[in-house]
Amino acid sequence: MQPQKATVRPIQRFASAVSKCSAESAAYGKCILADYNSVHKDLCAKEFMRLKDCYSLAAKKA
Amino acid sequence: MRLNLAPVCRPQQWKPLLTGGTARRSYAFQSGSLNFEVFNRRAKWLQKERAAANVEEGRQADYLKDEVAMRVCERLLDVKRQFPRVLDLGANSCNIARALLRPNPDPESEPPVTDPLATKITELVAAESSHSLLHRDHDHPSLSTAHVPDFKLSRHVLEHDELLPFEPETFDMVLSSMSMHWINDLPGVLSQINSVLKPDCPFIGAMLGGDTLYELRTSLQLAEQERKGGISPHVSPLADVRDVGGLLQRTGFKMLTVDVEDIVVDYPDMFALMQDLQAMGEGNAVLGREMGPIGRDVLLAGDAIYRALHGNEDGSIPATFRIIHMIGWKESPDQAKPLRRGSGQASLKDLLEGQ
Repeated sequence: MQPQKATVRPIQRFASAVSKCSAESAAYGKCILADYNSVHKDLCAKEFMRLKDCYSLAAKKA
Repeated sequence: MRLNLAPVCRPQQWKPLLTGGTARRSYAFQSGSLNFEVFNRRAKWLQKERAAANVEEGRQADYLKDEVAMRVCERLLDVKRQFPRVLDLGANSCNIARALLRPNPDPESEPPVTDPLATKITELVAAESSHSLLHRDHDHPSLSTAHVPDFKLSRHVLEHDELLPFEPETFDMVLSSMSMHWINDLPGVLSQINSVLKPDCPFIGAMLGGDTLYELRTSLQLAEQERKGGISPHVSPLADVRDVGGLLQRTGFKMLTVDVEDIVVDYPDMFALMQDLQAMGEGNAVLGREMGPIGRDVLLAGDAIYRALHGNEDGSIPATFRIIHMIGWKESPDQAKPLRRGSGQASLKDLLEGQ
């Protein structure tokens, strides 16, 4: 078992990458909020793809 | 209303359940035993063992359990009795023992310095199914009994967390904090608590109920619905405060007191909340949940929705923990009982009209 202090958990790296995408995240949230009573698959696919691209970029840079 | 979920939850066209069909456990059933399994006991035990292995993180994440244990023990300040033998059911990391050993528990009282609550108790039996969690703080200074020499903490590892291996009428009080929301057969456990209590002795408990983590539940439901087209349970079904009174009464407790309070904790993001829940040992253990970790897509979407739906102005997100406190007393012939119907002397109608 690796010592706890030395390793950074994948979720922590994920969280720090996601924190750089607050604008895209807000846009996606706004899209869902607009119609949250009838959410179905891929309702906000466009906004999500932008959010995911922003996250991938931030994760690559880190 | 409880949804019957298939063992493997495949995405289906379900309406989003914002108020949550899976959120509330129902105890309003007809008499006659209904044996249902809601939680996977072995999964919960494994989660507790793993949480106990991360000692530092576990201690950091104990804030909620310590706070609730303190509030449970505050209710003891009003009882002017000595309790030779007390059971702490579902002790986790002995949070109740820590709260009892706190010096000066009531700074606002007269005289200004009060003895630790542990002076009212001679032996505290801390019962818990996870050995590692129970012994995690074995040598920690917060559990030192040096300043209360007559107090003894004995740890007991339960083989089965819903079967109490104690003789009937052997405890002067039963306490339980933040563990009853993982019990499958709550009526059964409550009746076992009732039987191990001596007559005219209290049971003081606190559990998570109702709308706990409703923000997390709704955000993950919406995220999963949008990303995958279906949902699977991420937050346990929890008892409602309205059912708790009926449950205690049916089990035979008298002089009931049930109250509810919300503790709202702010986190920087949804992932910090989920990490803390895991470190507390409060991960998902519902039978019928989708096995394996939540996918990155759903996590990403969930955090965005959480922030949009429930976020605070300063960028943090709130998480609600609804604590249900309950006090019930074991029946005893010399307890105050309600008067017989029809024995009233004064007429409320006359009193009110006379004004």
